[in-house]
Amino acid sequence: MRKLVPMILAALLAAALWSADQATLDRGKKEEQQSCTPCHSLRLIHSQRLSRATWGKEIDKMAGWGTVVPDRDALLEYLVANYGDDKPVPPPAMSEDGTGKK
Amino acid sequence: MLFDRRQIFAALAAGAAARMVRAADDSVAIPGKRPMILHNDRPEDLETPVRYFDSYLTPVDVFFVRQHIPRPAPIDPETYRLTVNGMVSKPLSLSLADLKKLPQYTVPAVLECTGNGRGFYSPKVPGIQWGRGAIGNAEWNGPRISEILKLAGASSGAAFLETDGADTGAIKTPDFIRSLPMAKALHPATLLALNMNGQPIPNLHGFPARLVVPGWDGTSSVKWVIRLSATAEPNRGFFMNPGYRYPKYALPPGTPARPAELEVIEGMPVKSTITAPEDQSKAPLGPIAIRGFAWAGEQAIERVDVSTDGGSRWREARLTGARLPFAWRLWQIEWQPTDPGYYTILSRATDSAGRVQPIVAEWNPSGYLWNAIDRVGVTVEKA
Repeated sequence: MRKLVPMILAALLAAALWSADQATLDRGKKEEQQSCTPCHSLRLIHSQRLSRATWGKEIDKMAGWGTVVPDRDALLEYLVANYGDDKPVPPPAMSEDGTGKK
Repeated sequence: MLFDRRQIFAALAAGAAARMVRAADDSVAIPGKRPMILHNDRPEDLETPVRYFDSYLTPVDVFFVRQHIPRPAPIDPETYRLTVNGMVSKPLSLSLADLKKLPQYTVPAVLECTGNGRGFYSPKVPGIQWGRGAIGNAEWNGPRISEILKLAGASSGAAFLETDGADTGAIKTPDFIRSLPMAKALHPATLLALNMNGQPIPNLHGFPARLVVPGWDGTSSVKWVIRLSATAEPNRGFFMNPGYRYPKYALPPGTPARPAELEVIEGMPVKSTITAPEDQSKAPLGPIAIRGFAWAGEQAIERVDVSTDGGSRWREARLTGARLPFAWRLWQIEWQPTDPGYYTILSRATDSAGRVQPIVAEWNPSGYLWNAIDRVGVTVEKA
């Protein structure tokens, strides 16, 4: 029991340090708009649920393909916070009827 | 660097234009397509809802779409030229009219995205989170690749056919180029398709000409083909390595790929999908038809078994249509539940090579080739 209290405190501290603050998340969202959307829509990102390690690899892959990610850390925190593999999978999005369009 | 920036701005401008034509509620209509599952709208990645699969040929206006990089500007059929070069004695530049003068063949064949079913893998892997609908069966029509290569006098020493589409990657994204072993390229069913289900191939599907490599994963069937090259070695670009490779030896789920042990995917596994009843639907107590399709890459489907009790007991379904190696078979079985309640329906295909759909699909780092026994749940209600 004596060991339990410090363990809980340490876990809470680790969780606090680990979870990104709102300012970082806001910066990450801005970074996503700037560095990802030149090549593809955000749906491609927001439909996925990946671990921190996998999101990190994806960012590095895209950087290798030429996108510039000056605020990589904020982008990673934003992706993990919103589209981490612990988040529920979203229902499928549907397109509208385009059969009448050219 | 300046060049990169210019490309970025051009892409941004194109993106802004795309956003402007969208409705205020952020809905997206894809020209020529009925409502489909939208994984990505720029470039378009569209999945066919399972309820559209109830016909032998999948209609063009619901056929799935997979694009890696932005699609090219629409190609003018008058100025279109196909370059045939590499290890050939007569390099060619063929017009669409030249291609139409060659003998035309029709091949019904399934196209399935290599990553169809990726969304079912656990742990999750990156990529489009396809469900069950990145697949379709169409009638492809056009000249044989073998006859185009013969016209160009391809060397018997050429071991691969390299195919490039007119699409190019944004910024430094690699170009989409694929290599095919020459034996498969020369197969009489391998076409440069000009038509799909009796109409010119729509732009989204590769107008005016696309490769169709029956029995292989969809990524082999390059769209908007502008160059065929006979080569001694396979292309080494991203979309051949590490893209579209599969582990030679199965890995523990969640572990990274071993690059030296990745192999190019050839052929496809055995697979069946239940198209009716719809997953999580309700049906009144009474006779219920269970339907679906099954295919097995270069093999033929031998049988499909169906269970309505979670896999305790199985019954053989009735296959309909011709037994062709590259097209799917439709199957059907009548079911008369005696009690209301929730039922788990499973389907399991067996092919001519003796392959049987597994209970557990083999996890792999890119989420390719999902082929686990298919499953839907249905609630039968008192009539």
